[in-house]
This record gives sequence, structure tokens and C-alpha cells, in this order.
Amino acid sequence: MSALRERVGIAEIKVATAPTVLVSYGLGSCLGIALYDAEIKIGALAHTMLPYFRAGIRETRTSKFVDMALQEMIELLQHQGAEPNRLRAKLVGGANMFADAPGTGRSSEGIGSRNIQAAHAILGELGIPLLAEDTGGNNGRTMEFDLENGVVSVLSVRNHDRVIL
Amino acid sequence: MSFTPLNEENLDLLREVSNIGMGHAATALSQMIGETVLLRVPKVTLADIADVPTLLGGAETVVAGITLQLLGDVRGNMLLVFPEESARRLVGRLLGSEDDGIALSEIGISTLKEVGNILASAYLTALGGVLHRVMIPSIPQFAFDMAGAVVDYVLIELSESGDTALLVETEFHGFGDLAEKINGHFFLLPDPASLEVILAAVEEAK
Repeated sequence: MSALRERVGIAEIKVATAPTVLVSYGLGSCLGIALYDAEIKIGALAHTMLPYFRAGIRETRTSKFVDMALQEMIELLQHQGAEPNRLRAKLVGGANMFADAPGTGRSSEGIGSRNIQAAHAILGELGIPLLAEDTGGNNGRTMEFDLENGVVSVLSVRNHDRVIL
Repeated sequence: MSFTPLNEENLDLLREVSNIGMGHAATALSQMIGETVLLRVPKVTLADIADVPTLLGGAETVVAGITLQLLGDVRGNMLLVFPEESARRLVGRLLGSEDDGIALSEIGISTLKEVGNILASAYLTALGGVLHRVMIPSIPQFAFDMAGAVVDYVLIELSESGDTALLVETEFHGFGDLAEKINGHFFLLPDPASLEVILAAVEEAK
């Protein structure tokens, strides 16, 4: 069966079933979150930008926040028959693209690491096991999430080999 | 705060001020590489942040990207994007080296950052002069990577205040034949509040 590739853009969430492959291109500080229910071969991929939604701000697209995206993904997956206790997570991205932050006015603790920390904390609270991650560093990544087997492969410009999660 | 929609007059004004800035930057670049640098008509685009990587040539396209923050009266970001081959040619030309690997060596990266610094300074000095506003570039930052990854930091900053980005884009290219051509894109991405500052300053300057 040839796999259908579906693109997940910035601040988007997509839910799909086998044999689809969900792809997020060029993740830098953004964090790609994959959730998978192996039993019924369904999963969701979110391309998040910021760690936490702050109450009070007018938001049209809550899926750009790690916390809101996770909540939304679980609801969407449950709606299609996934069991929350079967869900497993994989994380990709959260890089600090510009290593030489001093003097540039950007905070030294990068947004990438804050996204990773938020995802770890929330997955912990939700009791969703984190199976694998390729995060941090200072390189961009493209992630492909195969709904046939839950495998996430990561491509980057600097490492020519794929990282398989 | 989000971007308010721009009318045709605002767009014209933004194109015009950007043209002035970019004219100076092109002069600087042409003196550095010793050949004429041509500019395209600037494009002003109000885009959804999710569409910005596509506007840069695709999220996965490998580029040499130099970003600078805009400091002073007007805040925002500047982004100078060279396709991989152009970055190599530019560094080769400036350092007088045929070595293809030099572009991403420490000296090559430092050279590209300096190019970013010179272009941004020329652009901002001209713009600040016309608008009577203080505009200063930060230290440049460099990444050789997928366009999506190079730009997402800037988009994340913008996304804290809304879902749109305003891009003032100028494409430039050298005069050389195709095999040796250097081309690149210069983007100004003002913060939403600073766009108002720019437009008000243009009105005053008229």
C-alpha cells in the first residue's frame, strides 16, 4: 500500500490513520509532537510554537501552544476511537537555532528548550509515556510520522542520516 | 496586538521606503562584490504565519539565513536569505577563494554575518534618515539550515501577539551570468505596533 503524505504546517494539528504519513517540514525552535495508538493505528501530529497558553489573550489558534495542542489532540483522537491510556508520545524539534544569543537581545534560555520542558511536564501530568525524542541542539529537522507502525524518522541538513524514533 | 489591514496607499508607502533603504544596501553590496546589483520591485505581503516558510521558498529548502533584530524606535526583525549556491559564491568572491567548503567555515560564516550587518545598516540608516526615527540593527545571527527552521524563531515572536506577519521583501541579484549569479532576498518584518510607527513617520515626513 502506498502511503499518503500529509503536511502539518505551523500551528496545525492533523489526525490520520494508516497508511498515511504525517510530515512536518523545517522544525527549528518549534516542537513537533506525535501521539500514537498502536492498537488501531491512529495518530496525531502537532507543530507547536509556544509552551503555554496564557489566559486573557485573544487567541484564534490555540493549537500553537504545547499545552492546548496536547489537549486538543487527545480529544480528536478519542473522538475517533483511540484510548487515552494506549497513547504514546514522540517529540522532535525544540532547537536553539542561533547558538550565539548573547548581545542579540534574545533570551539565553531559548524558546526551544521551554517548549521541550513544557511537553515533558504535560505528558507527565497526563500519564502519556514518552517513547523517544530527538530534540534540542541547534539544527533544523523534518519529521515523518508513519501511522502504519508509529515510527518517526527525522531528517536534518547537517546529519545526512535519518534518525529513527 | 495584530496587524490592521493596509490600504493601497499604505502598501505604496511601505514599498517606497523599503526601496530607498534597499537602494543603499544594494550600493553597499555592489561595492563589496565589484559588480552591479539589481533590485526587484519590493513586495509587501500580509501573510498568515503558517504561510511564511512557503514565501521563503519552502520550509525544507536549504538556505543561508542571517537574522537581525530591529532596535530603537521601530522594533521587529530583518532577515537576509541566500540560496545555498549564492551564499557559497558570495563568500568565495569576498574572500577570493575557490574553495567550496569555505562558505560554512568559521571565516565564511563570519563573512556572511558581516554582509548582513553592512546591508542591514545601510538599509536602516537610509530608512531612519527618511523617517526621522532611530533604527539600529542587533548583532547578526546566522544559520545554514532549512528555511522553516531558520525563520521559526521570528514567527514564534510574532505569534505571541497574533497570527499574521507583515513581510516587506526585496529580491536582489548580481549581474553575472547564470552559473555565477548571486541572488538573495531581504525581508523586513516589523512588529505590529511598529508598523503603526513606520506609517505615522511616513505621514510626517511627507
